[in-house]
This record gives sequence, C-alpha cells and structure tokens, in this order.
Amino acid sequence: MNKKKIYPWWFLVIPLVLYVCFFLFPSLLGVFYSFTDWNSRTMGGKVSFVGLKNYIEIFTSNTDYASGIFNTLKFTVISNILKLIPALLLAIMLQEGIRGKNIYRTILYLPSILPFMIIGLTFRSILNYNNGMLNAVLDALHLGFLKQKWLSDLNVVWKSIYGVDAWRGIGYVMTIFLAGLNTIPQTYYEAAKIDGAGFWQRVRHITLPMLSGSIMINLVFGLTYGLKVFDIVYVLTNGGPGHATEVITTYSYQLYSSGQYGLSTALNTILLIITAIVGVLVVKVMSRQEVQQ
Amino acid sequence: MKKKLISAVLCAAMAASMVIPAAAEEATADFAGEELSILVSAGWMDNRYDDTIARFEETYDVTVDLQTIPADQYSDLLQSRLATDSCSDIFWIQSDPFAIASQIVDPEKYCIDFTDEEWVSVMPETRIPACSYDGKVYGLQIWHNSPEYVMVYNKTLFEELNLEVPTTYEELKSVCEAIAAEGITPWFMPGADGWQHQLAFFQIGGVYAAAEEGLYDKLNNNEATFAGNETMLTVLEQFKELSDLGYFGEDWIGTDSTNMVNEFGDRNCAMALANSSYIKQIQEETGTTDEFGLFLEPLADNSYFPTNAAGPTMFGYAGTEHPELVKEFFKFVCTTESLQEILDNSPSYTNLDVTDENLEQHWLPEEEEFMATITDEQKQYGVLQTSTKYTNDYWMQFGQDMVAYCTEQMDAETVLENMDINRATAAGVVGDSAWE
Amino acid sequence: MTKKRIQAVLKQVVCIFLCLIVLAPFYMVLINSFKDKAESARMSLALPTKWMFSNYLEVIEKGNLVQGFTNSVTYAGISTFIGVITCAMAAFVICRNRTKINNFLYYFFICGLFFPVNYVTLVRVLTFFHLNNTRTGIIITFTSAMVPFCVFTIRNFVLSLPVELDEAAVIDGAGPLNLFFKIIIPMLKPTLVTCFILQFMGVWSDFMTPLYLSSKSSMFPMTMAVYQFSGKNKSYWNYIFADIILTCIPVIIVYLLGQKYIVGGMTSGAVKE
Repeated sequence: MNKKKIYPWWFLVIPLVLYVCFFLFPSLLGVFYSFTDWNSRTMGGKVSFVGLKNYIEIFTSNTDYASGIFNTLKFTVISNILKLIPALLLAIMLQEGIRGKNIYRTILYLPSILPFMIIGLTFRSILNYNNGMLNAVLDALHLGFLKQKWLSDLNVVWKSIYGVDAWRGIGYVMTIFLAGLNTIPQTYYEAAKIDGAGFWQRVRHITLPMLSGSIMINLVFGLTYGLKVFDIVYVLTNGGPGHATEVITTYSYQLYSSGQYGLSTALNTILLIITAIVGVLVVKVMSRQEVQQ
Repeated sequence: MKKKLISAVLCAAMAASMVIPAAAEEATADFAGEELSILVSAGWMDNRYDDTIARFEETYDVTVDLQTIPADQYSDLLQSRLATDSCSDIFWIQSDPFAIASQIVDPEKYCIDFTDEEWVSVMPETRIPACSYDGKVYGLQIWHNSPEYVMVYNKTLFEELNLEVPTTYEELKSVCEAIAAEGITPWFMPGADGWQHQLAFFQIGGVYAAAEEGLYDKLNNNEATFAGNETMLTVLEQFKELSDLGYFGEDWIGTDSTNMVNEFGDRNCAMALANSSYIKQIQEETGTTDEFGLFLEPLADNSYFPTNAAGPTMFGYAGTEHPELVKEFFKFVCTTESLQEILDNSPSYTNLDVTDENLEQHWLPEEEEFMATITDEQKQYGVLQTSTKYTNDYWMQFGQDMVAYCTEQMDAETVLENMDINRATAAGVVGDSAWE
Repeated sequence: MTKKRIQAVLKQVVCIFLCLIVLAPFYMVLINSFKDKAESARMSLALPTKWMFSNYLEVIEKGNLVQGFTNSVTYAGISTFIGVITCAMAAFVICRNRTKINNFLYYFFICGLFFPVNYVTLVRVLTFFHLNNTRTGIIITFTSAMVPFCVFTIRNFVLSLPVELDEAAVIDGAGPLNLFFKIIIPMLKPTLVTCFILQFMGVWSDFMTPLYLSSKSSMFPMTMAVYQFSGKNKSYWNYIFADIILTCIPVIIVYLLGQKYIVGGMTSGAVKE
C-alpha cells in the first residue's frame, strides 16, 4: 500500500497554514515582546530590546508572584481530580444504560455553555453569606452549622472556587468521555459478561484501557485549563479576598491593564513554558502506553 | 408615537436652522451617507445619547455606529485600537487632569485639537484641565455636578432612632452601634464589586490635603509618599475597626452591590457611599416611603466635600477619515437642545455641569438642601484619586490591598507602600522626570 | 433481580440529585428574567409577583439580538464546520502515515494548546493580509485557534479505527478523498460531532475575538449584548437574565441535535468483526 498516495500531504495544508499564520505567528510575536520595553507609552511607536530585564523583574519584584504560581499549580491538581473522576463515573453510569439518560446528559452539560460573567454573577449571589441561596438551603435543612462565608473566608474561598469550577466543568469532561465510550464495541462487554466479569472488572479491563485516548485528551485539556485558569477566579473573587486567590493570570492581567505589557507577556511566557512542559510530558507518557496495547 | 416622531423631526429641523449657520448647512449635504463610529465603555453613554444621535443622523444624513464595550475590556481595547491605527472616529476615556497623559499617552498624535472650537466654552473652567493637555483642548466632558459618593442615609430611620448625622469618627461609631443594635447593617459596603469600598478612603482627599500643606503637589512631584502619612493610616485603621465591629455587615467582602437598592428599601441597611441620584433610584424602585438624606463621610473627622471634576470624556480621533463630521458631532452635542435631551434621558442624573444657562436642571430637593450646607471652603480640595498622578490607575489593586489588610493578610503600612511602588512604576513607564 | 432494582433506583437518585444542583442556578436565572428590575436584583427563587414577559421583547430590541444572533451563527457555524473537517483530514493523515515529519507536526500542533492569544499582534497580522475588520478575518481566526484542539482530539479517535478499513477501501479502488469522506467520516461521526459541539460552544461564548478584530458594532456577536444592560451604577438584572436565556438556547439546540449522533450508540462493533 502506498502510504504517500492514500494519506496525501495536502490533507494537512489548510490547517497548517491557518495555524501558522493566524495563531502561532502572532502568539510567538507576543512572546518576542516579553524581551522588550513594550508598555503603554511605546505601544504605538517603536519598542526596544531589553533582554531578560522583564524576567529578572518578575523574580525580584516585591509582588508575591511565587504564591500566584503555587496557587495555579494547586488549582490545577485539585480541580482536575474533582472533575475527572466524577465525570468518568457519570459517563460510565450514563453509558451503561439508565432511564432518561439523554435528558441527564443534556442537563449535566448545560453549565459549560454559560458565559463566565454569568457564572460569577449567579454564584456570587448564591454564595452570599446573608441572603445567598446556599446558606438558605443549609438553614432549611437544619444544617446551619455548615454555613460559611463562602467567598470571603480565607479558609473556604478556594473550596468554593473548586466547587463552582467542578459544577461548570464536569459536563464538558463527561462529553469527551462519552465520545470515547462510544468507540468501545459492545461485543467486548457482552463477551466479558458471559465470562462472568463484574462491573468493576469490566471497568478495569475493558473501559479504562480502551478509553486511554479520551483520558489523555481530558488530562491534557484539564492541565492546560488549570494552568491557564483565569475567568473562574476573576469572576468569583478577582484574586481576593485581598490576594488569597491570586493566580499567574490574574497577576498578568493586572500588569497588562496598568500598561506594563512587556512584563505581562513575560509572565505569560513563564506560564507557557510550564504548561508546554507538563502538556508534552503527559502526551509522551500516554502515547507510550498507547503503543504497548 | 407618530406624533412624537413628527415633533422630533420638526424640532430637529428647527434646531438645525437655528443653531447651524447657513454655511454649515451646505456642509451638511456633503456628509450624506458617511458613517461616524463611536467607541465607548458600557455605562458612559447608556441610552442617554440615543435621541441626540438619532437627530444627528437625520440632520446630516449619516449613520452613527455606537460600539458599547464591556467596562472590563474597554481600556485594553482602546489601547490596542490606538496602537494598531484602527480607532473609531470618536472615543471616550474616564478622564481627570492626569488621565490624558497616562491613557492616551500621545494626544498630539491621536486626538483632534479642539482648542479653537466655540463649544469649548460650554464646559465650566473646572472641567477644562481634565480635557486638555499641554494647553490644548482635546476632549469634551459633559457630566453631572451632583455630590458623588457621599453618605446616603435613611433619614426616617435616623429620626426614629433619635440619631444625629455624625460629623466625626466617634459620632459615626456610636451611630453605627445604635443602628447595629436594631439588627440593621449600619453602613452597606459592597466589597465584592472590587471598586467601591476604596471610595471610603479616596473620597475624603480634603482631609489629607488639609492635614499637610501642599500634600497634593508634593505627591505629584515625588516629594511625599502615601507610606508614613499619619492621616491615611488613621483612615485605614478606622475602616478596619468598622469592619471588625461588623458595621459593614457580616460579610461585606463577599457582598456586591446587586441588591443594594433593596437593602435600603427593606431597611436592611441605613447608610452607604453613593451618588445623590441613588435616593431617587431607591424610592422609585422599591416604593419605600422612607426619606433619605446626604452627609459628608466622617472618617478621620472629615468635613470636606469630594470635589471631583472628572468623568467620562469624549475625544475625536486624529486618524479619522472625516474629521469635519467629527467636529460637527461635538458641536451638535453642545447645543442647548441636545444637552437638554441628554439630561432628560438620564434617569440617574439630575443636572449637567455646563455653562449653558438655558438648560433646565432637575436638582433633587435633597441635593439642594445638602449643597446649601456646603461652603466654598469645604469644596476647595479635590478627591485624592484624581488630584494626584497615577493614583487612579491602581484603584483596583489598592482595593485588594485594603481587603488584605482587613483580613489580616497585610498591614496598613504595606497597603500604602504598595501604592507608592505602583505609582513609581507608572511614572517610570511614562518617563516622569520627578521620579527619575 | 432486586439488587438490580435497588441499583437502578440508586442511580436515578444520584442523577436527579446532581441535576437539581446543576439546574438550581439556571432556575434562578430563568425565574428572575421574568421579574421587574428591583425584584430581579434580589435574585430570589420566588415566583415573580408580576410576570414581565415583555422583558424578552425589550432585550431582543435593545440588545439588537437578531443581528447578534446572525453574526454568532455565522462565526460559530462556519468556522467550526471548516475547522472540524479540515482538522479531521490532517489528523487522519498524521495518525495513519507516521513519518518523522508528521510526528513532528503532531507535536507542533499540540503546542498551540499552550500558547496564549495576543490580540495586538493578531490584529497586525490580519491587517497585513487585509483581513482586519472583516467577517472572513474573524472566521479564519476562530478556525485557526481551534486547530490544536481538533487535531489533537480527532487524532486520538482515529487511532481506534482499524487500518484494515483503509486497506479494503484502497483495494476497492477508492482514492484518498473517497476513502476519507465515504469511509472515515461516517465512522468518526460521534467524535466529529462532539468536537463540533465543544468548539461551537467555545466560539459562541467568545466575544473577545470579534471585539478586537472588528470596529463595527454590526459585527458584534450575540454575547456582547449582555453588556448593554450592565453598567457600573445601574444594572438591569432582569434584562441580563433574559439575554442569557436567549443566548443559551441556540447552544442547547445544537447540543440536542448533536446528541443524537454522539449518543445513538455506535455500531462500531459490527465493523470490527
């Protein structure tokens, strides 16, 4: 079989050209600015090269960027655990067959279509201490002792962000798992059932291995989403109370809006490097498994 | 409906013939079919200009493309448009005497020079600094002159509780105590908005300026700092004390202003920093029969009025394809008829700060009563954020730091120090010689 | 048997409970979209004292929703359709013909997942191609931005298709186009539809890109309208909520239509044999 002929190179042309011209090139150009004195004054005119000055400034500044980086990593790990596992279980449950599964699927997907601004708005209201819905429900259930200042207590605020993020994201992750589950031939399960394999055995020996593609996709998207997280934090707390929930991107947003574009892109570039390393590692490790099977 | 339209058209025709001299009428025809684009942040024009714009379109046979941008995105977007030479014919900024330098950066290059236009005289002298740079006038600022962000309070409630309007911090504290005892939040503080609570610190600029002679000049010449300023420190400490005592409500940091109107209407709160027109809003939207009044914010025993000749300001973009049409638009907005229309179409404003004596203002009785008690001496100092360079640019960060201070993540001195550091950075960006 | 029943009931309970959690905020948005301004600001769960159906008409008119809707459908529909199909072609070749250069291209595409967008430089590039301020420019930008996502996702699903399919088709005399469109695309349908839904939604809710790439309000998407109703001093929550409901409906419809394909239970088992 002539691979060159049935898998022609020109199948790649359109995405490659678009991607390089209108995505990668402008983004790389942005990275270039992190080595310049680009700011609100030089924006319209000429920027000049300043070497690593912006990077040095980030690591020596009195702003606590380190805690922002730490918070970002913490968010990435916890939020992904909180989304991937429940989403996988839900997807399996819905795939296994349950009455009304189509309705459930649609409903569970709904939150991810809401714009962030609205999520912030509704949840700031729901999580309000005095007249928010959550505390009202807890009161009604005689669970008053669980009431919290959800968005202003330093010990609770991260949990609230994880909660809202899971609320929004589980349906999305689940949709990708469902697409993966669909590619597993039913005959495998039937054969396993005849062999007397129980539910967990079927999950372990058929579902998980066959699902490795979807797991990798979700993992990579989840990690990049987590490392690049901005909107959910911005709309719920904007880094607050005080600076308790500051992440890399909220800092870089602040720098950008005060006209220090070069510094802001430098911070973004650091984030890019972290994300790229983590992402490529995950893809490499997961792809190796793919070959073994 | 039809009748209204016809009368509007007639008015427009009349206005056109009255205001615009014959020579301009010829020009009117020249603009036929052109499009005038306006770039503005949400909340600056709202629907107040709709009628005027419609009339302008009709008079000049042009179309106006109004682009209302989310407030969060506005300044970044404007910077990007200016930098890529693709700005709209008219754009807005939130201006104060220092804003043109820091936001437009190069007005010579980007703005149409309006110095010789007749309409400039429509603006009172106090507004001119926020519209000009290097002696040239670039902007048009039509904003109201109501007391902005002073204490709005429930007068009826105060009377029922036999409370006097507080003029010192100690009085404020005892008033708060009495109100809190009734189970009512004394001072509604929407901390979750992120931009409101710091008003309590900045609006009383007079108290800082009065405590140290020439403070504003010193701050602008890098001869004084926020850090180490005793009065500022006192205000922060008092703010935290009120917060600790629960006088801002049990969870002010997690509460935004969404429901503020109802909180007033339901008597869940007694005071808040707000605009005078907020009184009208409370009464109209909640149907409460309570009466409301205004007083000066008494932190640090302040007795100064928050003078602030700043506001959203309109500029002409120098790179426009039809500068003459842009000029006509500014001229058009400054006619008495347009001004009246703009005022009448703004439910939340009671007046416009313009020199046009034919304009019929709609001052509220509460406003007039309050303003009658304010002497010129009390009005002499501007608010801190627009009287000092670069301060306003770090509004949000300062607010975050204040919350960090109230939640014990930071001490008061650091809050002030951070402002100094940030201001120095901003000065460095624009190359301010005082900071070199 | 009874154990199964208990399980089924338990599953239902879990699902219903989760759905309630998911739906509560939606209910809040929906119910408050029918209230007047002050009542909606309370964001309570109570029924409106007076049902204001007119909010919706008001929003459609003031927010210029018809135009916004047309724009959003154009941007999301066209860019996602082109993106998904062309990326499927690329992913197919990358996955099946693993030359060194194709492997490199795979990682080259994946890198795009990590890059942040820079609007200023993007505008400069588009201006260079004379595409700034045009609908084509916006669509191209959206398509380009979804390339990494689509190539990455689809490639991992092409893996699960047996190569024997291709061989059989080639023996039958099919060319690459025939093979791809007649054999591969139908097999990949669930994946492509999933990709389409996720990306359609992404484009639908992204108002930043059109905001930066167009300087005419007539090119603004539907999601921008919400900002017409929220200002610093005064926000019309009832209108905001009504607008949200209207903006969400098209995406829900796309999901419901697509669900038929993702969920329909693939017959891939039959092919494997």
